[in-house]
Amino acid sequence: MNAIEAVGLGRRFGAVAALDGVDLAVPAGSVLGLLGHNGAGKSTLVHVLATLLRPTSGTARVAGHDVVRQAARVRRSIGVTGQQATLDLTMSGRDNLLLVARLLGAGRRQARARADHLLDLFGLAAAADRPARTYSGGMRRRLDLAATLVRRPEVLFLDEPGTGLDPVSRLDLWDMVRQLTGTGTTVVLTTQHLEEADRLADAIVVLAGGRIIASGSPADLKARVGRRTATVQLSTDPDADAAETALRRADLRPVRDGRTLTTALTRDSDLTAVVRALDAAAVEPDRLTVAEPGLDEVYLALTARTEAR
Amino acid sequence: MTAPAAPSTADDPGSPPANAAGRSRADARGLSFGESGGWCGIGAGAQVRVLTARSVRAFVADRRLLVVSLIEPLVMLTAFGQVLSGLAHAPGFPAGVRYLDFLLPALLLTTALQSGVQAGTGLVDDLRGGLLTRLRTMPVQPVAVLVARSLDGLVRGTLRLVILLTLARCVFGHRPTGGAVGLAAAVALCLAVGWSLGWVFIALACWIDRAEPLHAAAGLVMFPLMFASDAFVPVAGLPEWLRWIARANPVTYGIDAARDLSLTGTAGPGVLAAVITGLAVATLMIPLAVRGLARPR
Repeated sequence: MNAIEAVGLGRRFGAVAALDGVDLAVPAGSVLGLLGHNGAGKSTLVHVLATLLRPTSGTARVAGHDVVRQAARVRRSIGVTGQQATLDLTMSGRDNLLLVARLLGAGRRQARARADHLLDLFGLAAAADRPARTYSGGMRRRLDLAATLVRRPEVLFLDEPGTGLDPVSRLDLWDMVRQLTGTGTTVVLTTQHLEEADRLADAIVVLAGGRIIASGSPADLKARVGRRTATVQLSTDPDADAAETALRRADLRPVRDGRTLTTALTRDSDLTAVVRALDAAAVEPDRLTVAEPGLDEVYLALTARTEAR
Repeated sequence: MTAPAAPSTADDPGSPPANAAGRSRADARGLSFGESGGWCGIGAGAQVRVLTARSVRAFVADRRLLVVSLIEPLVMLTAFGQVLSGLAHAPGFPAGVRYLDFLLPALLLTTALQSGVQAGTGLVDDLRGGLLTRLRTMPVQPVAVLVARSLDGLVRGTLRLVILLTLARCVFGHRPTGGAVGLAAAVALCLAVGWSLGWVFIALACWIDRAEPLHAAAGLVMFPLMFASDAFVPVAGLPEWLRWIARANPVTYGIDAARDLSLTGTAGPGVLAAVITGLAVATLMIPLAVRGLARPR
């Protein structure tokens, strides 16, 4: 079953199409990573799916309900953490969590227990009774996440969740996302951290100018766009010279930097060809490494392509 | 791409989530949802109750706000009661009525109206702070958010009216001829009319959603409402063109009725007119406010 389905989803702001004909199908329990530059439409898409914005064209269903006609039903099943903290900063962290829990239907005692658990979990227990305005940026982000996780959302939207978090908190967050998907929650996360998308997402959608310009699993995208490279490290200059000549003769177009040679592996047989050429030239490399393409490259290649259009 | 040591990788989801930096929070790592399974919202009435309680608590906890609420009526009583007392000789002024007794119902209504401005300001704070964005993604009705703010304004208004009356009685010797029952009725009416007309400011807040322009706009609305009415002088004492505006002004109805109650102790037809015009304004403003709140920003 799909937790999110969108068909031809669009949102205009005056003459600007912030979202332009987006189709999505996100299976329940999976993580969708939304990638794109600032202004690509990631946040607009999240806002439309989270019922904060009405689409101007197309339809979308979240947790089985239409985001326009059944917005109230959708709100019963989702959790949203946006780019800005959505809290009452004059209240303490605890009171913020209590308010959310009470509004969701927790009794007084239940709300208290839940707030305690979350404050503990997010490392906010010591600051629980201080006004949230005295919190650091990272603490606010964590409180915001805690408020979103007062109950288990069926679909969780995380708009750039890693922003403002220290590396440890970010790893904790990734961890938590995996635990959530383990319980069946579907997660949509927008990010500019490609590593974040690479590690968490089952599927990635790359947006530019409000349109989907690429989608697939992280591995798919890398295979489609990126190139593997082989790097050969030699111990002496004569060896490096010999290796360079050998690789060039084998049509592998090495790029030399001191005693390091890098060559793009465009065909499947290229890696073997590198090894054979080195063997034939009787050079013994210090090190031979093969690098898989990063999502960075994929992303840059894809977005550069759309900009060139 | 060099990655820092990750807690667990996507291909071994079964491994226990190790703590990234080996911190002692490891045992708290387990995200559990306990009894939160059935939490998917509450009825609109309960929403209003929870949200109102939160705003009232914030007001009580804010010492500075409480002190200002105490001082403001004192300043109003002094400024209007003493400075304008010469107006008792204006044409059309009821004979044998002290200016303070004439003025007080107007001050009651102004103060009650101010609560609407406060409710609007609180709403803008919630909008700016982002809490409303969270509430809009939760099973919470926008109208519940607004009603809670207006009720909080009512609570604050009641407190301010009590302070105002206490000061008027103890410091300025206010003894309305309508007696205690008349005065209590006047207070209740002012609160009801103030609450209804306060929706104008709540609606303004929903559309303006920034504190500074909101206050400017609230001032723009408040001044004609107060001065183009019989708050300070009887309508007959106003210039001809202002009389027409004053007769169309819902505040005039409210003050008239409150004045009747506090000076004579009896409810004239004015009370009904005041309540009806007030409710008409509220009925007009509530949907406008809800639309303003729900619009994209």
